[in-house]
Amino acid sequence: MPEKVYIGPYRPQLVEPERFELLVEGDKIIDAKMELGYMHRGIEKLFTTRTYMQNLALAERICGICSGIHTLCYAQTVERLMGVEVPERAKYLRCIYMELERLHSHYLWFGILAHSLHEHEAFAKIMGEREIIQDLFEYLTGNRINYAINTIGGVRRDITPEKAEKIRGVLRTLKPLSDYIMSLLDDNGVFTKKTKGVGVLPRDKAIEVGAVGPTLRGSGVASDIRKDDPYAAYDKLDFEVIVEKDGDVHAKALVRARETYESMKIIEQALDNLPPGDISVKPGEPKVGEEVGRVEAPRGELIYYIRSNGTNIPERVKVRTPSYANNFAILEMLKGERLGNARTVIESIDPCFACTDRVTVVDVRTGKRRIIALR
Amino acid sequence: MAKISVYRFLSAGCNACDVEILECLVPRYGLANLGVEVVEEPEKANVLILTGAGTIKGEKALLEVYEKINPPKIVVAVGNCSITKNIFDKGYPIIGPPNKLIPVNYYIPGCPPRPQAIIKAIADILGVKIEEKEEFWKTPEGFRGRHEIDGEKCIGCGACAQICTADAIEVIDGPEKRIIRVNYGHCTFCAFCQDECPTQAIRLTGVYHLLTSDPRAARVENEVNLLSCTICGGTFFPEKQIEWALKRVVEEKVPIYKDYHDNIYNSMRICPNCRRKIENIKRAKILLTNLSERARRP
Repeated sequence: MPEKVYIGPYRPQLVEPERFELLVEGDKIIDAKMELGYMHRGIEKLFTTRTYMQNLALAERICGICSGIHTLCYAQTVERLMGVEVPERAKYLRCIYMELERLHSHYLWFGILAHSLHEHEAFAKIMGEREIIQDLFEYLTGNRINYAINTIGGVRRDITPEKAEKIRGVLRTLKPLSDYIMSLLDDNGVFTKKTKGVGVLPRDKAIEVGAVGPTLRGSGVASDIRKDDPYAAYDKLDFEVIVEKDGDVHAKALVRARETYESMKIIEQALDNLPPGDISVKPGEPKVGEEVGRVEAPRGELIYYIRSNGTNIPERVKVRTPSYANNFAILEMLKGERLGNARTVIESIDPCFACTDRVTVVDVRTGKRRIIALR
Repeated sequence: MAKISVYRFLSAGCNACDVEILECLVPRYGLANLGVEVVEEPEKANVLILTGAGTIKGEKALLEVYEKINPPKIVVAVGNCSITKNIFDKGYPIIGPPNKLIPVNYYIPGCPPRPQAIIKAIADILGVKIEEKEEFWKTPEGFRGRHEIDGEKCIGCGACAQICTADAIEVIDGPEKRIIRVNYGHCTFCAFCQDECPTQAIRLTGVYHLLTSDPRAARVENEVNLLSCTICGGTFFPEKQIEWALKRVVEEKVPIYKDYHDNIYNSMRICPNCRRKIENIKRAKILLTNLSERARRP
């Protein structure tokens, strides 16, 4: 007799509130459903009550982890709407800031993965050494999270030669951390044992559910907006799209670990080739019309749609976040998985429910309830 | 005080405050050294840390969790969303701030507060002193902390309130004075006000220890005198703003108006209502004719 198991909504192990309804037989998950909406804040409505400039801070607060990339995508879309060309230097600076954000987001994910696998030593090391990026952000932008660095028409703070030197120094200290993470993922690593073969998402299934970002790249699909539809200065920078074939949690981890090296490569190149000039231009008037912009967030493809009626307040803003696209991959990966692995699988897409809770999917049927602790 | 067990509750925030609370657990900040542990069940906790503005969907869960917390049931709201709803103020599913639903003892403003601020605040609540070097507390140059308004420079124009992303800055006109009030418990610390200020009067400083037990006290104010109309006597405009505008127009932009400085100043001191009255039009007309002739002359 299959039994229903509920995870959440308020469980401190999962960083944010959400609710999973698993249909379990013995130890095996047969079917999975999810209920969202605990983080729903009505952001898309709020977007239409503020000016284009004020919306930057709102876009930033969709998600507190990949906050910078939201403002970048929003600003780029609005720039197209206004017909503003961003200075070359600002494009390079945007790449630097966003790759630093990718580094901090990926390291945070490894920290959470270590936490969910009960590798406390690895957790403490990764989270502790990751601090250096947060300090760097504070030094460069004035805040550790929610850095308010992008603006419509460019960036708000420049990178001086001494700041560039500091960034290089931080990258030098981060390389050993990436090496350490790679050692956890090699054949004898502690992560490998617990993640190999867990939560497999085959290539065709990944495409079918519309997964994006590292989740998709972990299933053998080379898809990266930075290469496919270059924005900022990515078309002038040399980097590789990391792909792993296996589709399990281990492959997703490997994709992220190898991407940290690529991010460092991008930052170093951008610092070396930083062109002189202004860092921002004055924004113009928005034209009547609509625009779609997309970027590669740390978690995958992020899409903004903005419709303008010519006033200083947007008429409609629609956000499609990567976690929303990846949620359907979780449900696919959970099927056939052992109940004990459920948490690892859920964390493997790096879910960010603050991002996702825009659409409320409610489907709670009455059934036998049992709260289990996921360990 | 006995061992502190903290249960975290997040409802409709952006997650950043939660990440910073987790960050406090790493050895560098050493939340555990203060005798604080983070527990996973509300039944085991005696302190509740709230983040987020609170949604309709989370309301029931919040009340349930509050019931289960053991005495002394201290509730700490971390981050501006849980103090004043911050930028999500007018969101339709938002019912908070949480102090409407349950009693909250302490507030830690910030968006998000630095881990150092959280650590210091918790130590202050416990009455413990943290031994750390200067280096630990230091903020880099350009850090966006609590605001400071330079009373000398502020002209009371309200440009900061116009650009403010979270409606944190209020402009309150009294009978004789105008108050520019920055509610930093409602602020996103984006520093747009600093960028927009025409006289560089408002500045975000490195002050970040903002623990308070009264969210209404979390504000910075500046008063400017309002000008009274030379005809009706009613106040209508900040004195300094008129001087600033005059300086800009007469001295910097159109130097040939310099001779008419006093004339323009006098006509600017008439409130819009009086200016529209028929008996005052004549005076303005003479001035404008003089000015335009003067400007046309080579």
